[in-house]
Amino acid sequence: MAVSQATRAPRRPRRPRGPLAPYAFAGAAALYLVLFAGVPILKGVQLSVTDTQLINPNGGSSVGLDNYAALVGDEVFLRSVVTTIVYAFCTVAGSLLLGTVSAVVLNRAFPGRFLARAVAVMPWAVPTVAVVMVFRWIFNNDNGVANAGLSALGIGARGWLTDPSYGMPSVLVATVWKVTPFVMLVVLAALQAVPEELYEAARVDGAGMYSTFTTIVLPHLMPTLRIVGLLMTIWSFRRFEIIWLLTGGGPAGVTSTIVISVYEQAFGNSRLGFAAAIGVLGLLLSLAVTLVYFVIETRTERKNRVAA
Amino acid sequence: MIARRNLGVGVRTLLATLLVILAGFPLYWILNTAITPKDTLYTGGQRLIPDVSRAGHLFSILVTDRSFLRWITNSTVVALGTTVTSLLMATLAAYALSRYRFFGKGIMGFGFFATQMLPEALLVVPLYSLFASLGMLNQLYGLVLANTAFAMPVATFILKAAMDAIPYEMEESARVDGCGALSILQIMVVPLIAPSMAAAAVIAFFDGWNEYLFATTFITDERKWTASTGLASFIGDFLIPLDTVFSGAFLFAVPAVVFFLVMQRRIVSGLTAGSVKG
Repeated sequence: MAVSQATRAPRRPRRPRGPLAPYAFAGAAALYLVLFAGVPILKGVQLSVTDTQLINPNGGSSVGLDNYAALVGDEVFLRSVVTTIVYAFCTVAGSLLLGTVSAVVLNRAFPGRFLARAVAVMPWAVPTVAVVMVFRWIFNNDNGVANAGLSALGIGARGWLTDPSYGMPSVLVATVWKVTPFVMLVVLAALQAVPEELYEAARVDGAGMYSTFTTIVLPHLMPTLRIVGLLMTIWSFRRFEIIWLLTGGGPAGVTSTIVISVYEQAFGNSRLGFAAAIGVLGLLLSLAVTLVYFVIETRTERKNRVAA
Repeated sequence: MIARRNLGVGVRTLLATLLVILAGFPLYWILNTAITPKDTLYTGGQRLIPDVSRAGHLFSILVTDRSFLRWITNSTVVALGTTVTSLLMATLAAYALSRYRFFGKGIMGFGFFATQMLPEALLVVPLYSLFASLGMLNQLYGLVLANTAFAMPVATFILKAAMDAIPYEMEESARVDGCGALSILQIMVVPLIAPSMAAAAVIAFFDGWNEYLFATTFITDERKWTASTGLASFIGDFLIPLDTVFSGAFLFAVPAVVFFLVMQRRIVSGLTAGSVKG
């Protein structure tokens, strides 16, 4: 990157339209995001230090940091933080693992690969509401196919969406099913960048499937897996629809993540200010993870540069 | 060696089969449920292989619920609107981020990325009051504007990565010939990044097509509901037979799945442009 710019620079002026050109190009998008994401988020932060109610959204008065202070010792809130972390960790780990394995399996030619690939990516395209409807039906206590299958195997029925011990696993299954194809597609794309000679060399050395994967493929995939992992993590922190429509945060609050509490406090209990404070803390969690990612990324880049 | 290779093929085939079953079953179950009679569904009589002669029931919601078609139309409007506004702004922004160095570029890149962290559940309240004051509640274009805030940054990243892969030297000659930056973008860059444009378009389209929270909060007029809102209103509603509801889920999912499959090759190559660059 740096090299190519150095060789390019002396040849010709880079900005024929003057220094304002990039602002003209990016201006609309930047302004748009300020208006439809920046301003609302600032408004959310401002709401979080008030006692605003849903019935009178413009009528709250300032309460300082009371909402945040109330959250610090709030058991329900702390539990929602733990739930969010568990949910995020399991969906990220599950989708990265399954997505990578699927991509590796589907990368090599075999009869029927085209069809297998088509089916494997479909969950990504199915609208969340339809996903929720079918999983609610699969997990239905009395007539669902999950329990029918278990009974046929001689194992008793489970209350997938009604028993607190199965609420989280059920939500995880539905989520991982829906998001894994994204990981698979990106990894599949990254696999195209692994030079064919490396596979060849591994074959000559008599390396098996597993050692080829760990020594050749995985190092090539790591940068991709890191950025996909980051995206998956911050997306799970804010994922709302699939959890809300499947369980509404239940049974007994076991799937109530931070964003579910935000929505419940705002629209269920009408406490907009309090809800906003929860949302802001959730956002800080995402920011912290992003920060950690960029620190790790800069370190690896520096290490690679030293090694090279 | 040969034995090991064969073993590899066996394991691969087994894994691929398992993958197809896991990924495909819930989709198949939507179809299966839609064509199984409702009395059978509620008595635990649903079979793994349904009565195929009832395939016509896949479309039963079109007969029983006339508002469904209107919801689908609304979803289409929102999805297309989101795609067009996102791609227009994203193409221009990606060109700036890819080709220029300018003050504020780092902040802009971070800002675009940061949108992916913003929880809709937190944004929905301030956006609601913003839209209320602008008179944009119950308007489909209001949904387009809200969805674009999430779809456009993703499109920008995909397009920027694709543009980064195009050698700058190609544009220089055009520039010497007196072409402006905008016409270079139009004539040279856009055709070269067509696969990535397609990938970004599909992703933006799905954002609009699938979105539920904004659609449900901002649109209260039933005639302007999107299919997400309309179908979600059936959840837990026992007045509408389950097979009909699943006919709706099927018809809602099919356009997205087909559209995706048609574009699949371009999506993979569009994403490749991004990941190769790393």
